[in-house]
Amino acid sequence: MSSSIREEVLRHLQTVGYVQPALHKQTHAPYPDTIDHSLWRAYTRSVHDIGGEADVPIVFEEKQEEQWELNTFATCECLAWRGVWNAEERRRRQNVDVGQTQYLGLPYYGRWLLTAARIMVDKQYVTLTELVNKIDEVKKRHEQNTAR
Amino acid sequence: MSKIQHDRTHHAKMATGIGDPQCFKGKAGKAKFKEGDRVRIKDLPDIFYSRTMTYTRGAVGTVTKLVYESPAAEDEAWDNTDKPEWFYSVVFRQKELWPEYPDLYAKDTLETEFPERYLESA
Repeated sequence: MSSSIREEVLRHLQTVGYVQPALHKQTHAPYPDTIDHSLWRAYTRSVHDIGGEADVPIVFEEKQEEQWELNTFATCECLAWRGVWNAEERRRRQNVDVGQTQYLGLPYYGRWLLTAARIMVDKQYVTLTELVNKIDEVKKRHEQNTAR
Repeated sequence: MSKIQHDRTHHAKMATGIGDPQCFKGKAGKAKFKEGDRVRIKDLPDIFYSRTMTYTRGAVGTVTKLVYESPAAEDEAWDNTDKPEWFYSVVFRQKELWPEYPDLYAKDTLETEFPERYLESA
């Protein structure tokens, strides 16, 4: 059992390497005097503000929402209805607070779902311990069900 | 650290049956600009959150409409809803926003919305 966990952990570290942004300069732990005003502004910008940024063409596809996506949308609307957040706070969290890597790397409703879980922890409706234990429990149940 | 008490209902209560931003109608006071005014977009500091696209900053456009009253995104994104302001729809020449825009399409325009804090007379 533990050897398969080690395998997953090592594979994870490799995958993290793949999702690092393709940087044109070394940036880890820079000295303060290497961050001038324009670099500061570039690093602290809101990552959803992509107008004018260089990019490659992507294929536009019509895609129907999947069931989990509709469920995620309804969950987020219920959080608003119950006063946990308003639409602007939701957008801030799912489009900007997630950071560049997740903003570009996760599916649209993946960011919604992640953010819905995050605000429950941030606003102390659940503790991270409770959330982690629940995810672990569901994961194990799912593994059992698929093993059968 | 003590538990933060979040007011779980006030925004939902304000908007239920009325809608948002309709629930802020009449709360922004007198509008500073009117339809047809030439305005320049201010380049306010843009850390943490803004919905005023960087590519519009410093550009000059024309107010086409006062669209609604609402707290600015910078406030509402942290649930500060007590200072609504006027929002304006502003139209720009694409050429004003993108210097390399082809002259052949010089009449192309782009229209988008701003809270009043971002506008100054041009």
